[in-house]
Amino acid sequence: MQLKKPGSVPTALMAASCALLGASTAKADDSYESDDWQVDSALLYYKEDQQRVQAIEPVVSLKRDFGDDRSLGVKLTYDSLSGGSPNGALPSHSPQTFATPSGASLQAPSGEPQTYTTSSGRVVALLEKVTLYTTEPGQLPLDPNFHDQRVAFSTSWQQRLGEQMRLSVGGDLSHEQDFMSAGLNAALARDFNNKNTTLSFGTNLEADAIRPIGGAPVGGTDYTQLQKGGNESKTVGGVLFGVTQVLSRRWLAQLNYSYDASHGYQTDPYKLLSVIDAGGNAVGYRFENRPDNRTRQSVFLENKLALGRDVLDLSLRHMKDNWGIKSQTADLRYRLELGNAMYIEPHARYYKQNAASFYNLYLNAADPAPDVMSADPRLGAFDAMTYGLKLGMTLADKSEVSIRLEQYRQNARDVPAAFGQLQGLDLNPGLKSFIFQVGWRFSF
Amino acid sequence: MMRRVAALAALLCAVAATSGCSTIGVKPWQRDLLAKPEMQLDADPLDAAIDEHVYFSKEASSGGRGFGGGGCGCN
Repeated sequence: MQLKKPGSVPTALMAASCALLGASTAKADDSYESDDWQVDSALLYYKEDQQRVQAIEPVVSLKRDFGDDRSLGVKLTYDSLSGGSPNGALPSHSPQTFATPSGASLQAPSGEPQTYTTSSGRVVALLEKVTLYTTEPGQLPLDPNFHDQRVAFSTSWQQRLGEQMRLSVGGDLSHEQDFMSAGLNAALARDFNNKNTTLSFGTNLEADAIRPIGGAPVGGTDYTQLQKGGNESKTVGGVLFGVTQVLSRRWLAQLNYSYDASHGYQTDPYKLLSVIDAGGNAVGYRFENRPDNRTRQSVFLENKLALGRDVLDLSLRHMKDNWGIKSQTADLRYRLELGNAMYIEPHARYYKQNAASFYNLYLNAADPAPDVMSADPRLGAFDAMTYGLKLGMTLADKSEVSIRLEQYRQNARDVPAAFGQLQGLDLNPGLKSFIFQVGWRFSF
Repeated sequence: MMRRVAALAALLCAVAATSGCSTIGVKPWQRDLLAKPEMQLDADPLDAAIDEHVYFSKEASSGGRGFGGGGCGCN
């Protein structure tokens, strides 16, 4: 055996250790048993401009190695969200009044729900008690009463199956006031070519219960009628094929193909569309209505490059779905070692998507209402940029602290020209938000 | 386009799984850099999870790296 680039005695010793431990392709030497729990924790503060959504999110993740590539992981996430969320309607030069879903009630004053059957055979209730909010002229309509809390728990177990294969299984639960989700996932990975190549296959299944406050609106109906039904549900199933390849001593790459299919209620129960007449006046609103089926495919490529002591991470993703959306994502991080166990990591991300086929900024009053419709900006065409910086430091006790600051900006594309009474209004102002995060990794 | 990419991925998998890739890669004693924590594909799992959650709630795309998990009724 001849060492081609031994570098130094410590390097050779480390290399020999790696060989003895049989470090796997995509993982560090996980094959030793540790008596410690490794804790990875973070506190996120997320804030959008124009008094829109803000969130505070603590996350704690624990992992323990039991030796022989067996490990257990658990993660707990808590989200507290508040602020104003765009309801989908266009701004106007006149005040606009809306009903907040949190003030709605399915109970008629008599105490009995007033229900009737629609032409499609669906039983719905006509709401009678609502709380109103008014959007000032020129302002983007935001429901100012948005509050929610989310608690999410996930766990995973990994172990070796024979000499070359690894199995991981996991589950997750998530709960919000109006949403519950439960999921299971499993993945198999097999090493080839002296662990330079790893093929992996994974699958997941998710079941969601959607319980909109005030009931789920009947999609596409006149907003002023406030026709609402009960709760809804959705299921998601997906598969992922991946290949991880060591290309050189300094270059690791991963290529994934994933496919998932969602079936069930995918409408946002709190989103509307403005109905605009030939003069640019809002003459009404409709609840949005999305297709019940969605399939998505994505190809994801990630590269890790060791450049001296630094590490460059470049990932690219192309996604398309059967709603007509295509998106491209490029994400670049460069971890620059500063010495004294400190590093700084600049981050840039570019994202671009086109609009869903049923996306419309507003509905034309002269046209018949379409079957499926949405003015949700998240389904429109836009470009987005993220710029960020992370600073990390390893302390004397081997724990690591970090802070991260990022700015995210969405700029809408293909916004229709304003006409009539819409002139002078910013019909799709985009989004600007800040992310501030502190992290702490330690063992106990 | 997607079919071509999927076919390419399948081809890469097949090639990688056979001896075609046996000349690509490193010997076990050359894994010093690859074994560094910051060279792992999941070097910062919490950053990745937080980013995934933020972008999931603001964009029409998600996933690719792996499975998300938990979902949300994000506004």
